[in-house]
Amino acid sequence: MSLNGWLQIVCFIAVILLLATPVGRYMAAVFERRKTFLDPVLLPCERLLYRLTGINPEQEMRWTEYAICMLVFSAATLVLTYLIERLQQFLPLNPQHFSAIEPALALNTAISFTTNTNWQSYVPEATMSYLTQMLGLATHNFWSAAVGMAMAVAFIRGIARREVKTLGNFWADLTRATLWVLLPLSIVLSLALVSQGVVQNFRAYDTVKLVQPQKVTGTDGKQTIVTTQTIAQGPVASQEAIKMLGTNGGGFFNTNSAHPFENPTPLSNFLEMIAIFIIPAGLAITLGRMTGSPRHGWAVLSAMVVLWFAGTAVCYWAESQPNPLLHGVDQHISATQAGGNMEGKEVRFGIANSALFATVTTDASCGAVNAMHDSFMPLGGIVPMVNILLGEIVFGGVGAGLYGMLVFVVLSVFIAGLMVGRTPEYLGKKIEAFDVQMSMLYLLIFPLLILCFTAVAVVMPNVGLGSLANHGPHGLSEILYAYTSATGNNGSAFAGLNANTHWYNYSLGVAMFFGRFMMAIPMLAIAGNLAGKKIVPESAGTFPVTTPLFTVLLTSVILIVGALTFFPALSLGPILEHLLLRSGAAF
Amino acid sequence: MLDLVTTISLFLMFLLAVLYVRGCERLRGTR
Repeated sequence: MSLNGWLQIVCFIAVILLLATPVGRYMAAVFERRKTFLDPVLLPCERLLYRLTGINPEQEMRWTEYAICMLVFSAATLVLTYLIERLQQFLPLNPQHFSAIEPALALNTAISFTTNTNWQSYVPEATMSYLTQMLGLATHNFWSAAVGMAMAVAFIRGIARREVKTLGNFWADLTRATLWVLLPLSIVLSLALVSQGVVQNFRAYDTVKLVQPQKVTGTDGKQTIVTTQTIAQGPVASQEAIKMLGTNGGGFFNTNSAHPFENPTPLSNFLEMIAIFIIPAGLAITLGRMTGSPRHGWAVLSAMVVLWFAGTAVCYWAESQPNPLLHGVDQHISATQAGGNMEGKEVRFGIANSALFATVTTDASCGAVNAMHDSFMPLGGIVPMVNILLGEIVFGGVGAGLYGMLVFVVLSVFIAGLMVGRTPEYLGKKIEAFDVQMSMLYLLIFPLLILCFTAVAVVMPNVGLGSLANHGPHGLSEILYAYTSATGNNGSAFAGLNANTHWYNYSLGVAMFFGRFMMAIPMLAIAGNLAGKKIVPESAGTFPVTTPLFTVLLTSVILIVGALTFFPALSLGPILEHLLLRSGAAF
Repeated sequence: MLDLVTTISLFLMFLLAVLYVRGCERLRGTR
């Protein structure tokens, strides 16, 4: 570890905390339909959209209506993406003449982008036409993020409102999230990325002559001399911006943000990391503003920062350790050595920014990568996995992170109530049996999907284990990570697993689908139930949700629930691998 | 053929999600 590395990490979180308040206040104004500086431009667009679609934005919805609208919208856009993928050879903007995507992969990809996962079982630059990337995938980057924000705002309204049955209008929230938040930020970030060298064009791929011809051994063992290289390009910057801001993570290129056309400089890397956290951090402030308790928003944000710091510190420390199997190699930090594990990392980012990016992308449900998580040391690789296993509530996905965190808040308040023997209250709302039942449903579906699918995959030698590039505990980590990433709607891959098979395409698709919708629905049910409750006046027995004690309790509940659920699986994967590495075994 | 199976599977998955909404609401009603 170096002072330089720590300074960059501190600088990153300082910028996030500085931006959280203005962004959070702005989003509160957007969703409370108050005046914003973008109204002169965007209000006419909004009115036009409502007129074209026949939507009445003033029509309030109960939680069931809100959930059904969310499902209908997701179903319609999912089918649209599936059709675009299946018909891409007949559609324009396909200069490489890519053929149709086969059904299993098309379904997996359509579910993946609809659920904000952006898991990619394919090589984008060798599979998807420009039209598919833009109309099929990048649009989902906006829509799925906007759906997440709409649901988070519905939850906040559930807490803030009293004795009503409604949570707002799904279509209005979706439209405002897209027009007022995601589009303007995306335009600004796209231009900033272009300034750093991220490409944006519609040209066919270039073929260039190599300065040094390369000898390559094929899978059949035959050696050939390669003299040319194909340079993939396309409308990257526009997709890159929303990929980060919407915590989507699906790269235009297979190597994602490690590719020099997606993330060319340390500054573009910094901007991309800021883009991942900025909306989730702002939403914590929005929570405080809309519920009339700004200090509660800061208490929730503090819990997020504590967990983020713990993950970053462990990952940075683990990756800065020399690999004990590399004997006789200088791995100490110096002017010519990064000082630690550089396998799978880009030299232009180094260890600190690779560890930070890995932590940030998995704290949020982004899933973009600038280094290969599969190449991390076992204790470095455990951090991204644990971040997702905790439910991606550390900042979390756009919207999904906040509502996941709020489910933990409900649980924490309930536990605090049990400890003092009083009916638990959350910002004046009594937490009762139904709220806790739905919270538990939310919390149990997640491990059920991950652990069951992983268990099934590891007992099927051909379909499950046959896709692995590594065996032993590392192989288990690869499968566990895949299902964790899919169910958590993260989308990052540990690599080392060929997921483009029928089993993985379908099973990961099911995990993504249920991981999104079966968790969002109980959350909306809690919101609907809370909205109908009276506000109970605060008393001496009320557990305050604005203090450091609350932050400590919330952090502890998150860690204890996560540890109790997943420690056995982690001990058989990365923890065992770490211990075996010390005794000289590698996988 | 696979496209048809996919479409039907998707329909059933979303139908299950809608029933899940109804199930949660019914659970609230029986409180």
